[in-house]
Amino acid sequence: MSFEPKILAILCNWCSYSGADLAGTSRKKYPANVRIMRVMCSGRVDPVFIMKALESGADGVLILGCHPGDCHYTSGNYKTIRRMGMLKKLTEQMGIEDDRIRLDWVAASEGDRFAEIIKDMTEKVKALGPFPRNGGDNG
Amino acid sequence: MEEVRIGVYICDCGANIAGTVDTKKVTEYAQGLDSVVVARNYKYMCSDPGQNLIKDDIREKKLNRVVVASCSPRMHEPTFRRAVQDAGINQYYFQMANIREQCSWVHENKEMATEKAKALVEAAVHRVVFHEPLQTKEVAVNPNVMVVGGGIAGIQAALEIADAGKKVYLVEKEPSIGGHMAMFDKTFPTLDCAACILTPKMTTVGQHPNINLLSYSEVEEVSGFVGNFKAKIKRKARYVDETKCTGCGECSKVCPVHVDNEFDVGLSQRSAAYIQSPYAVPNKAVIDKKGNSPCRVACPAGVNAHAYVALISQGKFKEALEVVRKSIPLAGVVGRVCYHPCEGECERATVDEGLTIRDLKRFVADYEMKIGREKAGPAEITKEDRVAVVGSGPAGLACAFDLIKKGYRVTVFEKSEKAGGLMRYGIPNFKLPENIVDNEIEYIKELGVEIQTGTAVKDIARLFNQGYKAVFLGTGAGKNHKLGIPNEDNQNVFPALSFLYKINSGDKISIGDRVIVIGGGNMAVESARAAWRLGARDVTVVYRKSEAEIPASDSEVEEALNEGIKFKYSTAANEIIVRDGKVSGVKCISEEKGQQSAEFVLDADSVINAVGQEIDKTELPGEMAYSDLGYLQVDPITLESNISGVFAGGENVAGQLDVIASVAAGKAAAESIGRYLSGVDMREGRSDNMPRVSNIKKDKVKPKSRVAMPKLELSKRQGNYHEVDLGFDESTAIEEAKRCLNCAVCSECMLCEKACEADAIKHDMKEQTLEIEIGSIIVATGFQQFDPEVMYNYGYNRFDDVLTGLEFERLSNASGPTDGVVIKKNGEKPQSVAILHCVGSRDENYHKHCSRVCCMYSLKYSHLLREKLPDADIYQLYIDMRCPGSGYEEFYLRLQEEGVNFVRGRAAEVTNTAETPEEQGKLIVLCEDTLVRKKIRLPVDMVILSCALEPSEGSAQIGKVLSISKKADGFFLEKHPKLDPVSTMTDGIFIAGCCQGPKDIPDTVAQASAAAARALAMISMNKVEIEAATSEIIDELCSGCRICNTLCPYGAITFNEAKGISEINQVLCKGCGVCVSACPSNAIKGNHFTTKQLIAEIEGVLA
Repeated sequence: MSFEPKILAILCNWCSYSGADLAGTSRKKYPANVRIMRVMCSGRVDPVFIMKALESGADGVLILGCHPGDCHYTSGNYKTIRRMGMLKKLTEQMGIEDDRIRLDWVAASEGDRFAEIIKDMTEKVKALGPFPRNGGDNG
Repeated sequence: MEEVRIGVYICDCGANIAGTVDTKKVTEYAQGLDSVVVARNYKYMCSDPGQNLIKDDIREKKLNRVVVASCSPRMHEPTFRRAVQDAGINQYYFQMANIREQCSWVHENKEMATEKAKALVEAAVHRVVFHEPLQTKEVAVNPNVMVVGGGIAGIQAALEIADAGKKVYLVEKEPSIGGHMAMFDKTFPTLDCAACILTPKMTTVGQHPNINLLSYSEVEEVSGFVGNFKAKIKRKARYVDETKCTGCGECSKVCPVHVDNEFDVGLSQRSAAYIQSPYAVPNKAVIDKKGNSPCRVACPAGVNAHAYVALISQGKFKEALEVVRKSIPLAGVVGRVCYHPCEGECERATVDEGLTIRDLKRFVADYEMKIGREKAGPAEITKEDRVAVVGSGPAGLACAFDLIKKGYRVTVFEKSEKAGGLMRYGIPNFKLPENIVDNEIEYIKELGVEIQTGTAVKDIARLFNQGYKAVFLGTGAGKNHKLGIPNEDNQNVFPALSFLYKINSGDKISIGDRVIVIGGGNMAVESARAAWRLGARDVTVVYRKSEAEIPASDSEVEEALNEGIKFKYSTAANEIIVRDGKVSGVKCISEEKGQQSAEFVLDADSVINAVGQEIDKTELPGEMAYSDLGYLQVDPITLESNISGVFAGGENVAGQLDVIASVAAGKAAAESIGRYLSGVDMREGRSDNMPRVSNIKKDKVKPKSRVAMPKLELSKRQGNYHEVDLGFDESTAIEEAKRCLNCAVCSECMLCEKACEADAIKHDMKEQTLEIEIGSIIVATGFQQFDPEVMYNYGYNRFDDVLTGLEFERLSNASGPTDGVVIKKNGEKPQSVAILHCVGSRDENYHKHCSRVCCMYSLKYSHLLREKLPDADIYQLYIDMRCPGSGYEEFYLRLQEEGVNFVRGRAAEVTNTAETPEEQGKLIVLCEDTLVRKKIRLPVDMVILSCALEPSEGSAQIGKVLSISKKADGFFLEKHPKLDPVSTMTDGIFIAGCCQGPKDIPDTVAQASAAAARALAMISMNKVEIEAATSEIIDELCSGCRICNTLCPYGAITFNEAKGISEINQVLCKGCGVCVSACPSNAIKGNHFTTKQLIAEIEGVLA
């Protein structure tokens, strides 16, 4: 059986979660590998959540927020950009592939875009293979 | 901790979920999870029986946590929370798993979808364990409502609320309410006149005691939350006192500025002071002032060039000259010799060529001389103090002029026989005739300035003893620089200053045939040209730098070349060769860059030394201090010298200057002297630069070159000093002035101020910010018409008679530019008209959406055309006819009977390339008639483009201010497209009209009433419940680092100095959680999204 990755997607309530709902109401199809968790703002995403997810079985983590400038809370997504930047510096040193962690933007009206991002992410993580946990050879 | 007892309920949602997810298996799986007491599966959990299942289990099985796996929480979370609350447990002991929108509807593989549903349920079960009871807060609702946008939607909503007895702030960015509907001619399908049905409503809004109409205003900032918003409204400066303005329109009549009239979509012009439409509410004038025009900002002497150009364009020459004389007394002089920095900044240059602003100024001065000047009345002397001005050049005269206007008595002392300084003695008459200088000095005298000629002043103490309280030294730099080469003192070597002095005084000079002028400034070239007039046949200007570096103006050099003057660039004069006591030539050395220097001799009978001027210290009072460069030392801002009360400016401070720069120095000194004498700080506010207007509209300007100045024929120039530039006549001056782009719109000519009998014009009005408190907001910002210029194939703005729908509305409107007569640009009546549907709509390249109203308004246009042009051929080129609505289809049928030709097919192109004689001079519409499957060419006289409706320009901004989302098409996103089309995701903010999507007037009005009903419902409840999921700080964990303080976008976190920790204001907090994830001590708890809950959810979903 081919490898089916697990991807955790953490979505902000206002834009991205609505966008994901819109993908549903418009019956856009995308791979079932994604598991969605809702937060009020992408600015609530603590880098710890991402590490925790990888530790708990995720092969990839996707954070989606409102497009820059459109944040429901004015500027939360800008904070996310900075935090993700910091986290990526660490994960790069740890040998975690860039494609496993992704920050992107989906507006409430972008059901199509949401589905496309999920497809793209699933393919990329599938290509990377399972995330090596406990006893993986990357130290 | 009490035992956790969870009930899990899996919804089938008919086949919506159960079709893809094996809900039975999910239920079984849930049953096996920790702490799950009961797991059930039901067809419709949201139904009453479904909800009762939960309620019963809570009571019977003593559940204290509930998970429902069904649709999106955005849909039914409130429903289930209420059910849980009803059964006696806190509503926050509930969690929802979204297995419909985010699972069954998006996946096809049943097995994988089921696995995912299990994971989502497990996540919810894990999470709910850590849920905590929270109490929602109730807050009072402010009963005031803000309506944004004063089109028909905003008007309707405002009236509904106001009629219900509640207060409304109606904010409209334009000077009048009415929006697009006020521009329309008739309305479909009933053909009522739009204005007739709208204006009564507009008037009611204007008079309603419960409506505070804030026109010409924009919402800048909104803070707060449902029931308790605070808004900052920018009230743009109207420059008209609304309480005094009677709407008489006199200001508009006298205003010389004309720009495109937005209300007629550019088909007519309006003035800068204007009333938007005949039925404007409020019926008050507004002055469209965007700032300061570039030309005005550029003038060193602060002459308002824009104003005099605008006045000239309207033939108001006298008023134009008055504008110049507000700043300077020397219009005729400066109009001839200024180096015109204004023209360098003229924005028209970016279209074709800048205006000849200087020549226009000269024109008004000449015009006055031509018709005869009335004697200027003496200026009113209001001050005791007397001021002495030494020197009557441009600096001295400008200073004297400003001082007498300030009310001081001024005496000018001039050492020469006549006043005027270098204007009289340093510039030859062919450039600046003496009578111009005479006239302007006479004008200054008439104002009351006393000029004592033949009086040199060397003793300042004496002036003070004579009673003068301040002195201005405008003594210029009247001494020629030395050449510093052998034989320069020969009788045939003339310093330029004395050469020109002699010429201007009418003295005879003999210079011979060959003349060499050394120097490169205007004075050098002018001397050369004067020598040529004097009879010299071979005149050469020798300049030591390159052609590109020559400081003389381009026009001066050009005219000299025309007159046969030669130029030797990169050439230095080394020695004047004298033979038998007479000049025979000049030894030169050429210094061409990159080439070896070569020595040669230029033969000459005379040499003119025009290498510059310096000041003559022997003519100045002994106690003056000098700078290192040898000029008078003064304060750079106040121009005060080393002696208190003595000021200096112009060439004696700065060296050789242009006339206008000397004038500017004189004016600056006058300002200082006025302040000095009245004891006011001489520096305060002096360096303020006038801000230059930006965003100048020039996209629709048709190119037109500048008008050339007529010149004296070459053959008539020798042996005399007649003026070369002949000046404009009246019609050319007007023609040239009309090219002005009116960058700042209002030019501040101040005619309106004089015309307004009500004293309502306030040119110094400032923009204001109004803060209001409201409980709810209705957004009704409408639409804008798609600009079809981007569709090159339809020829809009390329062909005269291709119109947009809105343009046709105005053309057909009795209050429009043609009083409702449909005519082509050339004034003829069109014999045939094609109406093109779906321009920018239903088009992948522009807007995918159908704009809904175009079919109907196109039908209306056909009807209006049929009425006004009974014999015209009318074509409608459509893709589909969409006529749903009361009486709409019937209207379509009626039009078919009225003989309109319906062609099914989207027009491909509008061209003017005729293929047959019948097509000659017509616009040819190319199209495929898809019903007969034939390509056709329709030659017509007029094309109307039924353009798409798109979100209005300002809607993106207001969307950001209010945190409301947009749809893919850019229109505002409603909370639910079907069940809640008037709400937004933000509680307390409603939307109405075309800002939510294109719609016709009846639908707009209905939605506006609905939005008003929603706002009124909130008001009548008097209170609203707000989310309890806010963040709080755990005091014991907070280290007081304050990282969170600056992160909060709502300023809800403050530092408590006494406790040394941060605190969150629960009313301001909106629960975004950005502070929670930033806290290095985990001291902030984001309620209902705690770290524990979210980690549990992550572990659960990935288990």
